This record gives sequence, C-alpha cells and structure tokens, in this order.
Amino acid sequence: MRSEFERRHPGVRIQIENIPGEGQYVPKLLMMFVAKKAPDVMHLDASYASVFIDNDLLLDLTPEIKSDDSFRLDDYFTNVVDVARRGDKLFAIPLDFTPIVLYYNKRLFDEAKVAYPAKGWNCDDFLAKAKALTIDNHKEPGKKQYGMHFINWMPLWIPWVWTEGGDVLSPDGRHAEGYFDSDKTIRAVEFLASLITKYHVAPTHSEAAAAGVDLFRAGRAAMHIAGHWMIIDYRSDGIDFGVAMLPTNAASPKTVVYESGLAINRSTKKRELAWEYVKFMTSAEVQKVRVSGGLAISAQKEVAQYYASDEQERTFLNAVEFASGPWGARVEPYAVVEDLGREMMEDIVNGTPVPDAVHKTCRLIDLELSQQ
Amino acid sequence: MRATRVIKLTAVYALLFAGGAITVLPFVWMALTSLQPRRAAIASPLDLLDSESWSLGNYEFILTFPELPIVRMALNSVFVTLCVVLFQLAICSLAAYAFARLRFRGRDALFILVTLTMMVPTVVMIVPLFITVERMGLLDTYAGLIFPYPYLSTAFGIFLLRQHFMSIPRSLDEAAELDGCSKLRILWHVILPSSRPALATLAAFGFIWTWTEFYWPLLATSTREMRTLEVGLSMFKESYGGTNWPIQMAAAVIVLLPALAFFLALQKYFVKGVVQSGLKG
Amino acid sequence: MKTARPMSVAGYLFVGPAMLYLGVFTLLPMVVAAYLSVHRWHLLKPDRPFVGWDNYRRLLEDPFFVNAIRNTVVFTALSVPLGIAIALAAAVLLNRGLPGIRVFRTIFYVPSVCSQVALSMIWIWVTLPHVGFVNWLVGSANALLGTSFATDVNYLQRFPMISVVLLFIWNGLGPRMVIFLAGLQNIPETLYEAARVDGASGWQRFRYVTLPLLMPTTFFIVVTTTIAALQIFTPIYVMTQGGPNRATDVVVFHIYKEAWHKFHIGQASAMSYVLFSIILTISLLQFWAMKRRSDMIAESA
Repeated sequence: MRSEFERRHPGVRIQIENIPGEGQYVPKLLMMFVAKKAPDVMHLDASYASVFIDNDLLLDLTPEIKSDDSFRLDDYFTNVVDVARRGDKLFAIPLDFTPIVLYYNKRLFDEAKVAYPAKGWNCDDFLAKAKALTIDNHKEPGKKQYGMHFINWMPLWIPWVWTEGGDVLSPDGRHAEGYFDSDKTIRAVEFLASLITKYHVAPTHSEAAAAGVDLFRAGRAAMHIAGHWMIIDYRSDGIDFGVAMLPTNAASPKTVVYESGLAINRSTKKRELAWEYVKFMTSAEVQKVRVSGGLAISAQKEVAQYYASDEQERTFLNAVEFASGPWGARVEPYAVVEDLGREMMEDIVNGTPVPDAVHKTCRLIDLELSQQ
Repeated sequence: MRATRVIKLTAVYALLFAGGAITVLPFVWMALTSLQPRRAAIASPLDLLDSESWSLGNYEFILTFPELPIVRMALNSVFVTLCVVLFQLAICSLAAYAFARLRFRGRDALFILVTLTMMVPTVVMIVPLFITVERMGLLDTYAGLIFPYPYLSTAFGIFLLRQHFMSIPRSLDEAAELDGCSKLRILWHVILPSSRPALATLAAFGFIWTWTEFYWPLLATSTREMRTLEVGLSMFKESYGGTNWPIQMAAAVIVLLPALAFFLALQKYFVKGVVQSGLKG
Repeated sequence: MKTARPMSVAGYLFVGPAMLYLGVFTLLPMVVAAYLSVHRWHLLKPDRPFVGWDNYRRLLEDPFFVNAIRNTVVFTALSVPLGIAIALAAAVLLNRGLPGIRVFRTIFYVPSVCSQVALSMIWIWVTLPHVGFVNWLVGSANALLGTSFATDVNYLQRFPMISVVLLFIWNGLGPRMVIFLAGLQNIPETLYEAARVDGASGWQRFRYVTLPLLMPTTFFIVVTTTIAALQIFTPIYVMTQGGPNRATDVVVFHIYKEAWHKFHIGQASAMSYVLFSIILTISLLQFWAMKRRSDMIAESA
C-alpha cells in the first residue's frame, strides 16, 4: 500500500514506524512530539485520542476537507467520524472501527435448549439465559461451563453502564460526581458484579485466568463481550457463533465504538502531502484491501456494506447507529479512570459492597480530574 | 569418618537437585509450552507432555514472519551488546583501579558520587536522557542506541571491580612497581588477570542488561532496521497477546537462547581466578 | 609526600573517562530531574510554573504514595535477606570440587540470563490455577497421596507480594551466587586448614573464617541488592499492575503511572527524589555499619 502511494507520488518516500504494544505507543509518540521528531501522519485510536487532540498536537482537518472536492466526509459512518470531533473541528479521518457487541456460541445455546438473543432483549433475559447456560462439572472442577465470560477491563464493560442509563462523567467531561455515583451506574455495576459473586454465571478473575485461554473460544463460556477483532480467531477455530447487541434496560440499545483513524501532525512541513496520504489510506480503494483480512470493519460505508450480506457482520454495522465514542477520545487522563474502574471491580468481587466501592472510586476520579 | 562423608555428600546433592529442580522446571515448562500449536487451548498440564502435539511451528511462524527482519534485529542486538560490554569493561576497570589503589584528592567523595548514580530510579531518567540524546542528534543511530545503555550499570561495575581489586594482595603490584611498570601496565598485567571472575561477572551483567533492555531501544530507534531483538519480538507478544501462551513462550525462548550461549562461553572464567594460584606460587 | 603529585594526576586520568560518561548520561539527567521536580511540568503543556516544594508536599498527603512506599519497604525487607541467604547457601554448596557441580552452576544461573519480562510471563503461566505447574504438582500429589488440596489456587492473586518476592530471588540468584563464589575462592585454603588443626567444626569454620573474610563481598551484595529491590518495577508491571487492591503498588510503578498515564513529569520527578533519598539513607546506614564493623575488627586484631 505504501509502495503504491510512493509510485503515484514520485520522489516521496514513506517511512513506517511500528510501535509494539498499545501501552508503549502513547509514551513513545509523546516523546517524539517533545523532541519535535513526531511523524507527519500518525495512527490515532479513540481510546487515547484526547491526549493528542486536547494538547494541540494535531491539525484540524476541516480546511483540507472543505477545499478538496475529491473527498466526501459523508462516505464515512457519521458516528465513527464524530469520535475525533471537537465542535466543528475534526482531527482524524477514520480507517476502521468496531462497536462492542455480544458473541454467543450457538452450539452451547442449542445444547441447553436456550433461544438465541432476540432484538431488544433486556438484562433479565440475559441473566435467565446465562443461568441456563451455566453448567457445573463436578467431576472435573476446572471444566465448568459459564454463561458468560467476563473480563475486568473497563473499555469492555462500560456499555453495561450506558445501557442502564448511567455514565462515568458529566457531559462536559469535567467531573464524575452525580454520574459515576448515580443510582443507575450503581445498579449497572451491581448487576455485573452479581453475575460473578451471586449467580456465578461468569468466572472470577482467577477462574478466567485459570483457563489460560479465552473461555469463549475454548467452548466453555456461552457468551462473551468483545469487538470485531475476535471474529477471525473464532472463525478459524470453527466456532458456530452468533453476534448480538448487548441487552439493554434503556429505551434503545447502546454501545461503545472504538475507532482508529489517521491524524496529521500540527507542525508538519508537508501539509499537502500528508493530507494526500491520509486521503489515500482511508480511500475505498485501499480500505478494500485493508479489511480483506477480516480483522477490522472499514469506516467507509461503501466498503463496509460490501460485507453486509453476512449475518454476523450485519450486526456490527447495525450497532454503529447506537454507538458513541469512548470517554478516552474526549477526556485526557482517562487511562487513569479506567485503572480506577478496574480496581473498583476487583474490590467488589473481593467483597466490598457496591455503593461503598462506587462512591470511593467516584471521589478518586474527581480528585484526578481536578489535578489536570 | 567415611560414613559421615557419604551422608554429607548425599545431603549436598539432594539440596542441589531440589534447588536445581525448582530453578529450572519453569523453563522446562516454558519450552514445552512453546512446542504447542499456536491456537491450542491448553486444558490440562498433561497436554504439554504429549509428544505428539509438539511442533516447531511457532518458531517457524516467528522466524519467517514477513515485515520482521529477525536476522538484522539479532545482529543489532549482538553489535550493541558487545559494544556496551567492552566499553563498560574498559571505563569501569580504569576507574575501579584508581579508586582501589591510587591516592588523589577527592577520591572518596568521587566514589560516593559514583555510587549515588546507582540509586536514581531509571523510570524518571528516561525523559531527561531522551532529551539529552535528541539534542546530541543521536536518535535512531547506533551511537544513540549504545551510549546511554551503560548508565544502568557503570556505577555498579566500578563498585564491583573496586571491591574485587581491593581484595588482591598489594604485594603483587608492589613487586611490579619495583620492576618499573607503569600504572597502566600494572592494571593490565597484574590486576586484570587476577580478576577474571569479577570481569566475567560484570560482562555477564552488562550483557544481560543490554540484551534484555526494552524501553531505551524502543525510544531511541524509529526504523525497523535499527530495532533490537527484544523490541522486535515484543510486537508478537502484543499482537498475539496476553493469553496465547505458546507464542509468548516461543518468543521468550528465542531471546533467551543467545544469552544462555553467551553465559556458557563465559562460565569458565567465573571461578578459579588466578588469585589463588598467584598466592600459592 | 614526594609522590603525592604524580599520584594525583594518574588517579584523575584513570577515573576521567568514567566520570565524563557518568556526568553526561547520569548526573546531567539527575540535575534535570531535580529541576523538573520543583516545577509543575506536564509533558505537553507549555505552561510550566515553578512551584517550589509543592510537588513534595502533595506526596505526603497522597495516601496511595504512602501505600507505595510501605509496599516497597515490605518488599525489600522480605526479599533482600532471603535472597542473599539463598545465594550464599548455593555458593557454599557449589564451592566444592564435586563432579557435576558445573551443571548446577549453570542451572542456577539460567533465570538470570532471561529478561524480566519473559520471566514474569513464565511466572504467571506457572502459577495459573489448574493448568499451571504449581497447581499441577499439587494435583499430582493429591492423586499420589490421596489428599485433596485445592488445585484452583491463583497464587499470583492470593499471594501477590510473596510471588513478586520469589520472582526477584529466583531472577537474581545467579549473579549473587557467582559473586559469592568469587569471594569464597579468594579465601586462602590455609586458613581453613589452620582452623581444622584447631579443631573447629564445619559450622565454626563457616562462622569464624568464611563469614568475616567474605565481608567485602557480602557488603557489596547487600548494598546492590537493596538498591535493586527498592527499584523493583518490571515484574510488577507485567504480573500484577500493582494489584490486587494496590497490594503490590511499589514506588517505581507508581512513578511510572504518574509519568505515563498522567504525564505529570514534575510530580513523578519529585517522587523519584523521595525514593532516591530513601535509597541514599539506607545505603549510608549500610556503609556506616560496614565501617564500624571493620573498625571493630581492626581494633580487636
């Protein structure tokens, strides 16, 4: 892809730098900015986009978009584009994305004679199914089958809070009080925790770690919350699975969408060329090749629709309508909030009453936000 | 007398075997896991012992992965590590000799200053160090990759060698001095030959620290061709993820083997220094 | 003192390269870090006001930082004596001309040639419930002896601090053992023979010949191991992320989060200087104890 761009723009050489590990990407890129050695074009993930956008490191792309007739923003999913938006400014063109959805193992559902998740199902339906799908295996205690595989990673469990009508921060992103400690959030957290501590339909952290592999993939958990990235593995393993929206207690379903886009360094010396490259990489032509591996969903509607004949893929595309970007795209120290959320869930599973844990974490989040 | 000796020997070996087993079994576990198929769901530890499931597939997968110039990365690691080790042996033995044997004003104060540098947490040094190297224009060069490394262990090396040099009998260098040797010649012909175990220890330390360092080479390099093995392979660990134990373990084995070979090559120097024979002779 | 001047010059020439090197790559960054620690220095915000002791004062009010210091001290107090005792025992066992001893020397060194990241991964894998090696051993013992100990223990979650301590000891065993071995081999055999003639038992020979003569080596190992323990980071980062419940949140991990999750470089530098002072105080105490000891030995001799 890079060489194709170089072929079309003689004299231009694209140098790619891979940074292993998401945990390393942000520090390394920031250091490059500090040293004024940052690249002209860079990947920007929704989960940490705010760090770059709100420190004025990126170029507002609106002038480029307006003055370029060959580029149409309408070609991209609006909800995905908006993840990198601040008012009327836009800081990244999306490459691909994934909403967080629920995977279910059809074979395990059939064996337990449980109906597949239906449109508009709620948390009670979910719990009933999860209970029916949990099977203790007393002969081999290590081989229990769970209704759901729970991973204590806040980016994956935040949709549960949203579907209950709760949230982490106030709409302006300034404080958590009144939102993270609201009754709705507490109810959502209580529900999640009860899956592990009360109903035992989801494994504890140790039980999950014990498997050494994804329990869902091993056929020992009937449902799993994840993004599109798992689909290749599940398909290559030959799992007979379906994809559904998360259950919801609110008026309409809700979920979070993680996107990855291309952004331009604000102090680039090759503004036009950088824009050409962004446009090229996000174009339908390149996207078709990029997503053919099956890992991600293209943010280009036309390319994404090409796969919509597939039932599983269709669910992902339909989910976009109900999805919004993560707080990390809008609030700078959100990685810290996600750490606190993980610690809170750990506390709760270890016995701390939910309201106490939530109130404590809420105070800690506000303390962090006030220090910014 | 004979009987107690037998009992004693048995006890020693029993202890050694127990300690050896505890130390090495995790590695056997690691090696066995790395032989499992990449997408294996390991349900029971006994699966690991089933030799029918063994294959070198993970190694082949990693070593032939496109976009990963593994030979180049390994050569980078070797080159960088050897430079660091040699550089460090040179400056540390010179300084340690002065601290152990020579008299000069401010010696003790300087020595304390050296040990102080050992006590600074490296996490926070990274930002200033990065800025320094950037100002020198050394980012993404071998010099930038190599020079900042030994800061991890220069003070340690000086301290280690000084302690060792101090235990060498002074009569040895006094004899050489009477023969009219210069300080440098005394260091080279008397002190260093008597310090092989300590030098080998420092070399081993320097090697392992440099070989396995992740953070600095990640920051200091940008192009794939400049990456070291540890950084290069971590791309796998990340993309093939947390719980894909077979891939994780295969990548770990690939980094481990060269270091182990280096250690084995050095091993004969670790013990039986010339000090003893020097004393006896 | 006729020789004083030439001696001086030689000394400076010998320490010169190392000093120059440390000056540029360690002392200079240290000074920069000190500067950062008295400023509100966000990695990306252009406004970086001087705040004096403010960063330090805030640390004392931060319960998590106090908790991190406590964890670090506990970790050090557990791992240093135990690690040194095991390394010394291994060195004494291996300091014999027994057949096969080289093999053991190699085996004990293997964990030290491995990167800490890889070691930590192995450690997680080995301590997992059910499939992990430890639980498998327990299970095998159950099958053999008819007992029924639990095999679903997640040792890392249940005993987080102990796990990290054991990893630290396992990882550092080789180098410490080799340094002890080098020290042991420097003790002249004649001293042991003299002690034997005087009728000293094996333990007495160890106590009154080996230990005192090993003092410079032991001192070195105590100081360097303590410094390493107070700066423990990688195993925490890979294995526990400071959890569960911040039980393993040590100072350097705390600094890492402050610097790279919050980008408060000024605050992180202040934390580093607090840790630096702790390390410095402990090291000075150790130097002082060592000096007192050698003075006492000199007096009695």
